[in-house]
Amino acid sequence: MHLFILQRLNGKELNKVFKQVLGWIIAAIFFFPIYFWITVSIKKDKDIFALPPKLFDFEVSFSAYEEVFGISRFLYVEDMGAVRPGGGDFYMMPNLVDSIIIALGSTGLAMLISILAAYSLSRIPIKGQQHFMGWILSTRMMPPVAVAIPMFFIYKNIGLMDTHLGIIIIHALMNLPLAVLLMKSFFDDIPKDIDEAALLDGATRFFVFWRLIVPLAIGGIAATAVLCFIFSWTEFIFVLMLTQTGLKTIPVVSTSFVTSTGTAWDNMAALGTAAIIPAFIFILLVQRHLVRGLTLGSVKQ
Amino acid sequence: MSSQKSYSLPSFMNSDSSLPWLLPLITMLIVFAIIPFFYNIYLSFHEFVPAKRALLFVGWDNWIRLFTDGVFWGSLKVSLYYTFMCLLIQLVLGMGIALLIDSDDPGFGIIRSILTLTLVIPPAIAGMIFLIMEDANYGLIPWLLKSIGLIGPEDTILSDPTLALWGVMIVDIWQWTPFMVLILVAGLRSLPSEPFESAVIDGARPFQVFRRLTLPMLHKVIAVAVLIRGIDLWRMVDYVFVLTSGGPGTATYTLSLYSWQRFTFVQWGYGATISLFSLIVILIVGNAFIHFAKVKW
Repeated sequence: MHLFILQRLNGKELNKVFKQVLGWIIAAIFFFPIYFWITVSIKKDKDIFALPPKLFDFEVSFSAYEEVFGISRFLYVEDMGAVRPGGGDFYMMPNLVDSIIIALGSTGLAMLISILAAYSLSRIPIKGQQHFMGWILSTRMMPPVAVAIPMFFIYKNIGLMDTHLGIIIIHALMNLPLAVLLMKSFFDDIPKDIDEAALLDGATRFFVFWRLIVPLAIGGIAATAVLCFIFSWTEFIFVLMLTQTGLKTIPVVSTSFVTSTGTAWDNMAALGTAAIIPAFIFILLVQRHLVRGLTLGSVKQ
Repeated sequence: MSSQKSYSLPSFMNSDSSLPWLLPLITMLIVFAIIPFFYNIYLSFHEFVPAKRALLFVGWDNWIRLFTDGVFWGSLKVSLYYTFMCLLIQLVLGMGIALLIDSDDPGFGIIRSILTLTLVIPPAIAGMIFLIMEDANYGLIPWLLKSIGLIGPEDTILSDPTLALWGVMIVDIWQWTPFMVLILVAGLRSLPSEPFESAVIDGARPFQVFRRLTLPMLHKVIAVAVLIRGIDLWRMVDYVFVLTSGGPGTATYTLSLYSWQRFTFVQWGYGATISLFSLIVILIVGNAFIHFAKVKW
């Protein structure tokens, strides 16, 4: 729309076809690394390293997925223990389960806290509200390393190291500024008259909140939850620093595929692809609220 | 009303005081944001002494070391360069693409959807994607650059001291330019059309309109995008961790990575000092930016 007006300005219309073509070329450039990564996951080793790269004419093999998801454990038991580049074990189901538990748990916790706080910030203004919001926003600025180093010692002392709960709490904290500010913007969209009318009729504050406002904000709640889930799902440095042994989420465990004996690219790509496809589906579902979410509720679509 | 009864449990929430509603949030922020902050300050005056196997008070030693440490200054330079260059490139590129795809014509909706995809890839995995594409022997990007003669046949990207940082920045630019595009498109779409139509009538040139009308009217949207992107660029650690681990030498150490690396070398106090420095810088710059750019939430 905007460019259209600009074109009209000096009288010459930019060719619509040209715009379409350029737009699709840009989309293709941004999509290419994703496509390339997916092909790596279904290529055999010899094709992965071929130059010029084999983008379409390669042999398709799903053995990487079989290894990562443990299908090969049931199919070819005798192969177990064979040495592969990168060595070791590529069975990643436990890590996928860990990732899902952590992402769901931290999303639930962050949403619970933030919905209550955001409703209050939207409906019952407090003294120094701007400063309070500024404080919330400031926690969004903290470099993860600056939180993770002290948390490492605190977690060691209180026994939260290497636990799901520990990571769930830290991921919830990481998502709180986003969730609070975003939910506040969704609550702000709902007219305050609804609350006031119900309160006048004798309903309690909590009843108004839970029975009237939350159902009205359900689309915003879903969008916020999806974003919290994705940011927990993709988080790296907290998990790296606050776990030492067993518990590793997908982003962290996938870096362990690079070893001195070589890199298991196909397995890594299979795991990576499996990790990004659910996120793709989720994000396309809440695309309508995406910009608002990315800007913590400040830019509305 | 029977449902009234079932909601009598959280009766403390029925008052018009906001404290009960905010209490979980405040508790969480105090326990997991304020306490770590002061713990960091505490750590920055202590250091693990291997001979005594204990964390001992060392006074200002960590801070003195910080300001005399060449690697720290190098990593500060890398962090600043990385943040500014990526921000600039993403903003300019993002604005260009946003102006192009801000259209109701069929097809552009799909293009915008494709551009959202990079945003949900775990940064560590985005790093992996480019690790194989920038591989010295089999990588697609070095192969392309060699074919068109931009780099010599023996050159590499990630193990070259001058190119390595760009090898990392390209991942950030790839993954987060769409962030700018989507926000700017949303901003462009919300602009009223009347000022632009009257500019047309007055015979203004496109670039003038862009500079005099579009940019000022997008001021708030741009400020928000720059703020959020700037924060995340400053904190970035995943890409360097995966792609170069700070190498070759110390060429791609960012503050966060250097802090993490000192931490793993059991220099807990010094690692905390570096991260605290990084935290204080972003708090000051971020809040000053919010103040001067008049960003409101």
